[in-house]
Amino acid sequence: MNIVDATDRTEKLDEGEAPSLLTIILDTNPHAWALLTESLSLSKAVANLLIFINAHIAINHANRVAVIASHAERAVWLFPAPARPRYESHADGVHSDGEDSEMQDREAANSDTPSQPRDDANKYRPFAHIEHVLLSSLRQLIDTTTTDALSSTPSTMIAGALTLALTYLSKQIQALPSAMTSAQFNYSDATAVAGGNELSADGSRNQPSMDLSSRILILSVSGDLANQYIPIMNSIFACQRLTIPIDILKLAGDTVFLQQAADATGGIYMALDNNSRAGFLQYLMFAYLADQAGREHLIMPGEGEGVDFRAACFCHRRIVDIGFVCSICLSIFCEPLQDNLCLTCGSHLSMGNYGQKPVVVPKRKKKKKRALADGGADTPASERSTPAP
Amino acid sequence: MADSDHEYSEQGSDDDIPTRNGTGRAGAPRGRAMASRPKGRAQAKWEAAASSNWELHEGADGSIEGVLGGLEEAGKRKRLLKDTTPLQRGIIRHTLLILDLSIAMIEKDLRPTRHLLTINYTVGFIREFFEQNPISQLGILGMRDGIAIRVSDMSGNPNDHINAVKALRGMDPKGSPSLQNALEMARAALYHTPSHGTREVVIVLGALLTSDPGDIHDTIKSCIKDRIRVSIIGLAAQMHICAEICRKTNAGDENSYNVAVDEVDYRELLMSITTPPVVRSTDTEAQRRNQAALLMMGFPSRIVEEKPTLCACHGNLTRGGYLCSRCKAKVCNLPATCPTCDLTLILSTHLARSYHHLFPLRNWVEVSWARARQKGSTQCYGCLAPFPHVPAAEERSEHNGTRAKRAEGASESSRYECETCQNHFCIDCDVFSHEVVHNCPGCQSSAHLPGAEEEANGVEGESDAMAT
Repeated sequence: MNIVDATDRTEKLDEGEAPSLLTIILDTNPHAWALLTESLSLSKAVANLLIFINAHIAINHANRVAVIASHAERAVWLFPAPARPRYESHADGVHSDGEDSEMQDREAANSDTPSQPRDDANKYRPFAHIEHVLLSSLRQLIDTTTTDALSSTPSTMIAGALTLALTYLSKQIQALPSAMTSAQFNYSDATAVAGGNELSADGSRNQPSMDLSSRILILSVSGDLANQYIPIMNSIFACQRLTIPIDILKLAGDTVFLQQAADATGGIYMALDNNSRAGFLQYLMFAYLADQAGREHLIMPGEGEGVDFRAACFCHRRIVDIGFVCSICLSIFCEPLQDNLCLTCGSHLSMGNYGQKPVVVPKRKKKKKRALADGGADTPASERSTPAP
Repeated sequence: MADSDHEYSEQGSDDDIPTRNGTGRAGAPRGRAMASRPKGRAQAKWEAAASSNWELHEGADGSIEGVLGGLEEAGKRKRLLKDTTPLQRGIIRHTLLILDLSIAMIEKDLRPTRHLLTINYTVGFIREFFEQNPISQLGILGMRDGIAIRVSDMSGNPNDHINAVKALRGMDPKGSPSLQNALEMARAALYHTPSHGTREVVIVLGALLTSDPGDIHDTIKSCIKDRIRVSIIGLAAQMHICAEICRKTNAGDENSYNVAVDEVDYRELLMSITTPPVVRSTDTEAQRRNQAALLMMGFPSRIVEEKPTLCACHGNLTRGGYLCSRCKAKVCNLPATCPTCDLTLILSTHLARSYHHLFPLRNWVEVSWARARQKGSTQCYGCLAPFPHVPAAEERSEHNGTRAKRAEGASESSRYECETCQNHFCIDCDVFSHEVVHNCPGCQSSAHLPGAEEEANGVEGESDAMAT
């Protein structure tokens, strides 16, 4: 409210519920899923996941979803489906023999999907569309998996999937007209700057637009991801910056840093075991369906438990409570190094005060004065000095 | 006083009186008592920036849309094109920020006043500093009425600093600043810091004078002896003594003294301090003394208790916290130094925050139309946003010579390519990946990287050729 003339010139904001964008990262590591076929096969999991996605879209008409698959050796978009690369079909001699197939590919690439979904009158069109695109992309992903790709690495490209999700989210957030920067210049505020509030901001980090609340859900089945530690950490810090919570539902395997990721970004972490895996859909619906606004009013799982933050040392991969850190490259070691050379950066390190014994100074014997006569009964004066150590 | 121009320096060259403040740039004395500038001097930074981009060249079809889009992209990319070779940086930093609280800060040339703007930016700086350097320590001093005052002590907790700086809003600027007193107080504060960390002082100076009780050159000498690096951000104009301080304490490097030309520039200069400084190899004596050390640190886990207990840092009753790995004292938040046994307690995530300085992401290159046609990319790999269509080949060859570049730094096809994974990205993903995430989406998403394999093959090919 303007102090001088009491007019209120703020824009009327939309009072409706904010739309929410849910990005799902599906870990499709074939090795890990093969081990789970008895309790929860991939096809059953995807079917349940589709029901969850339908529920998310049904809550608010403007809600959106995006799905990324993190496969053994690559991370690909499942929904929205990526367009295929389009080559010039003009006759400059390069693609002349493949021209017919190129033309077909162009036609195909023009539409989002290779073929249209079956026209089922009973199915809500957005649900049908998502299901069709997701299943055909997933089928294509599995068809194009070669055997040597499978044997190359037993882990999954979760860092790539996270980064892809982040770039997509940042683009969606940027594309919306933001309600935060107002073009109104507030004369009453001494710190306002003409031309917008970006410069006079109180230094707080980039506020995401109030219009879109986004989150990332990771369905993970793989084990150790040690070689992707640094990229995963970078993604976690980027999510912290954009205040995007990362929720984790662990179906199998154990990783230390995914739990830290959920805790650092304010997400929910749950791990299922063999008994509870059959209730996959129920866990999804109960714990992960509410968006950030709803979570404030609900009691979320995992609040009362502590989190294991201990680090793994670089030399033996042991979990350590107290570690030794190189001040140049910040690598963690579990014990003082041999010949004082850092294993990662090779620089010579001094040990500081470690292992130093305290200096002992011999006490000089001093004759104590005789104590006062009164009250001497309680405190007998001792004429001997304290014994030397 | 701005740098004096050509005519003035010629007239004044007959004078033998050496002056300290105001005239001439450091480092160009010509055997005269007064530091005069040589003829045909190099353009100052602000002059080069002020050369106008007012002429917009129209594109081939008479519209300036392409040029404007190019200017926008170039502006976004300007910040990215800095050196990304992995250099050794000082990660554990002990920094003192010295603010000018003298009468010159009441000037309104930076809105609303220099004083208020500085306080706002300082709060932002504190947050960003601890985000980028979680294991470092910051202290804040002020120069007011000829003496140096302590705004907040050296500590690793951002909230202490933010509250202290916000309280400065009520204190009016008064008197003149004293660089020597501030540097002496900074020296005393940095005296006990361990040798494996960096010792930095950042001064924000809005006044054009300094009133010192003694000889500031002695202070400069003792700063050099104590290995303190000083960098100064001026708000008004260049001063000789500031340039000299920065040059001497940074071993001849002149880039640490900058004068802000407007609010945006000021904020950028202040935020550039949050990047860890490079360790110089020329500084051999300092390097010898500055030996890297192996630091003992504890990695506590968080506990949640049923009944509240006292924490060791504040004495509050809390139901959760972190237990020191050595003495099991409870602290409230990390990073902290255990109050009982003096062990540094951190999370491994705090160390991980600094990794992107040590392993920076390589810059991406602009993609020409020919390359875009070759790869056939229609969407950005990261965000699936569509790219502009590649024009047909015949059109292209016609305008080959006449087509003006859109702008320096912007790609003509709006595509940017990562050389290792050979994927194309849009400008927003470029800026986002380099500034926020520090990962390339393409390199992380694929186990087979064509660029890396080409490099490896190139090396092998060479060694084969040499062997035969």
